[in-house]
Amino acid sequence: MTETAKGPPELQELVADVKPDNADLLAVFHRIQEALGYVPREAVPVLAAKLRTTPAKVFGVLSFYSEIRTEPPPRLTISWCSGPACRLKGSENIRRALESIIGVELGESTPDLALGLRPVQCDGTCALAPLVRLNDRPRGPLTVAEAIRLARELRESGGNGRQA
Amino acid sequence: MSVYSELRAKANEAWQAVETPPRPRIAVGITTCSRAQGADETLAAIRRELAQRNLDVDVVVTGCWGLCYAEPMLEIAKPSGQRVLYQQVTADRVPQLIGEALDGEGVCGVLALAAVGPTPVQGLPSFESLHVITLQTRRLMANCGVIEPESIDQYIGRGGYEGVAQALTMPSEGVIKEVTDAGLWGRGGAAFPTGRKWDFLRGSKNQPKYMVCNADEGDPGSFVNRTLMESDPHLIIEGMAVGGYACGASKGYVYIREEYPLCAERMRVAIGQARERGLLGLDVLGSGFSFDIEVVRGAGSYVCGEETGLIASIEDRRGMPKIRPPFPAQAGVFAKPTNVNNVETYANVPLIMRHGAPWYATMGTEKNKGTKMFSLSGHVQRVAVLEVPFGMPLRRLIDACGGLAEGRTLKAIQPGGPLGGIINAEHVDIPLEPEPFREQGALLGSGGLVIFDDTACVIDMCLYFEWFAEDESCARCTTCHGGTQRMVEILRRIANGRGRSSDKEMLRLLGDTLRWSNCAHGTAAPTVVLNTLNAFSEEYREHVEGRRCPAKVCRGLVRYEISGPSPNLPAAAAICPTAAIVEKGDEYVIDQGLCIKCDACRELAPEAVRVVDALAPAGVAAGEQQAS
Repeated sequence: MTETAKGPPELQELVADVKPDNADLLAVFHRIQEALGYVPREAVPVLAAKLRTTPAKVFGVLSFYSEIRTEPPPRLTISWCSGPACRLKGSENIRRALESIIGVELGESTPDLALGLRPVQCDGTCALAPLVRLNDRPRGPLTVAEAIRLARELRESGGNGRQA
Repeated sequence: MSVYSELRAKANEAWQAVETPPRPRIAVGITTCSRAQGADETLAAIRRELAQRNLDVDVVVTGCWGLCYAEPMLEIAKPSGQRVLYQQVTADRVPQLIGEALDGEGVCGVLALAAVGPTPVQGLPSFESLHVITLQTRRLMANCGVIEPESIDQYIGRGGYEGVAQALTMPSEGVIKEVTDAGLWGRGGAAFPTGRKWDFLRGSKNQPKYMVCNADEGDPGSFVNRTLMESDPHLIIEGMAVGGYACGASKGYVYIREEYPLCAERMRVAIGQARERGLLGLDVLGSGFSFDIEVVRGAGSYVCGEETGLIASIEDRRGMPKIRPPFPAQAGVFAKPTNVNNVETYANVPLIMRHGAPWYATMGTEKNKGTKMFSLSGHVQRVAVLEVPFGMPLRRLIDACGGLAEGRTLKAIQPGGPLGGIINAEHVDIPLEPEPFREQGALLGSGGLVIFDDTACVIDMCLYFEWFAEDESCARCTTCHGGTQRMVEILRRIANGRGRSSDKEMLRLLGDTLRWSNCAHGTAAPTVVLNTLNAFSEEYREHVEGRRCPAKVCRGLVRYEISGPSPNLPAAAAICPTAAIVEKGDEYVIDQGLCIKCDACRELAPEAVRVVDALAPAGVAAGEQQAS
């Protein structure tokens, strides 16, 4: 237990001030994700020790929230807005086209981790509906044809194109 | 002089400098909405342009005027008193704007939207006279777009924190009485009287007590809380501090959803400033009352908007709602007495304390006092955030947002988020207050209003809302988890043209069962299906018995066909993601085995591609063939 509870030094630094019963866990998940791009499995026992709880409880929290990744993110994430305004304006058509061109379904990444397709919740930027985000940069309103051209360009460039 | 009046005197100077600027001042609205439309680039372009032209102009960051469609927006104020609001100022338009608007008393006519403040500007309407503004009463939004959200002095200079100062001179039960007399009820959706809720917490003996702000505005299509937090964060902090004093709480949490990073940033800045001024922390304004606030960021979970789920999330646990009782007032955060209110509820409190309950109750209806913020999106021409008195007919808000696109008719309105139901367009004059919505089997909810025109399919939207409910179910109770899953399966079957005559009954049965779920997520999940089974029964009949989707949205019920020649067909064939459009001799055909019905070909060749019913009875299909 003590061996695994140490984890890599960078992780130790990120979790240094975590205390039990102090609303710290989500904050430290965000902090680790901002630093490393995702929350690695090694963080679970480290955090459990800090919070004086079991790794199972920490993992339970980790797996509950959709915005905390447990895998390294792709180079470029295409975030597809699932909201109602986007749907009314054809986001389902855009989704079908993107999945077909990128070759993955929502929530997946290409095997080389170049591109990922991810559903996101509405954040109220509905004036741009239907929209997608390329690593958080919004693009919209999009026609299906525009989305297809964008996806083809990103596929060709492996997530490195000027669009990204 | 009291501690507050000292603060106020200093802040008044700061506000004076805004009202009568010593040199021109450009205030760029930076919010989630405007950023998405390029406001950061606009701000950078302005700074560049001013440096190049060597102009002595102040550039500041303000919040949101509530006109999402007009973003990026900015205001240019001049020492003369001329204040002009500009719209859709993208970075490429900045040189023209600076050239024309900063040329003496000039105005950049093409980008100008309205004149703000008391000084009229030749040829421009006043902000108050804009069609989207005339119906509004902006109490909660009085500072939105007007002040710099990161300036506590501007907030205080406009009367901010007077509510706390006032409350601290009163006994705590007096504060609660004032809130009760004002008639304030919770804006998060449940509409529970705020004063009564606060009284529960006040009566609780255990210590410490917590004031929690639910800023997990998870309903897709609702963004009224975001507007407030990004544009006037101190208003919420002040409301929480008043609540803390009234209930005897010493600590507050603002739980902000993951999707709102700018809200978290601005709330944190504001909390820091309030601490510096002695408005939070130990001994608030020298009164002996201590109260502090912390921001907690969510991580993507809709049920954390349910108060017990939110509390579990703050406690470092899975955000799963609990069975009540015990209610949060007895055992909430860390099993201590807790009060949870929505952002907008807290935002009302400083106004009540500042102006009194009688003033507050001058707006609204018999049963519902005050104003309510609404965000309109979907098929309206202009996406916007509006604040109107309770009782305003819904139709007026749709009109204010520019109505629908040319040639379209209104089909439905979806209030209250995914769990709120869908209202038939025939009820478009419904007054905006909870009771009439309840009569329609719907919920007024927290402020989102999504407008559907006749291109929308109600079955498809129900499928979306039930999918959302299923996806976000915490899965603690099988009633909710399994019930929503089953509903999605049935709706998907209907949308795919395999609906059964027993399906409507099955959906009703599932809906009745879901009413026995543990928390509001499950009990409200079937609302949209139960109310559309009545409000749109014809649409269900068309899908199930007629096997056709009148709006031609449901994928399993439509087929794409080439209806004739067109010079655009090569482009349509090239765009097809699955290469389903193939050339056969001198004409094009769609390979139905490959077509994913994404609509891209029809976008590029609308005259040559048509969408037909895939499964409609033979007679109908033949009729269509002849018509073409």
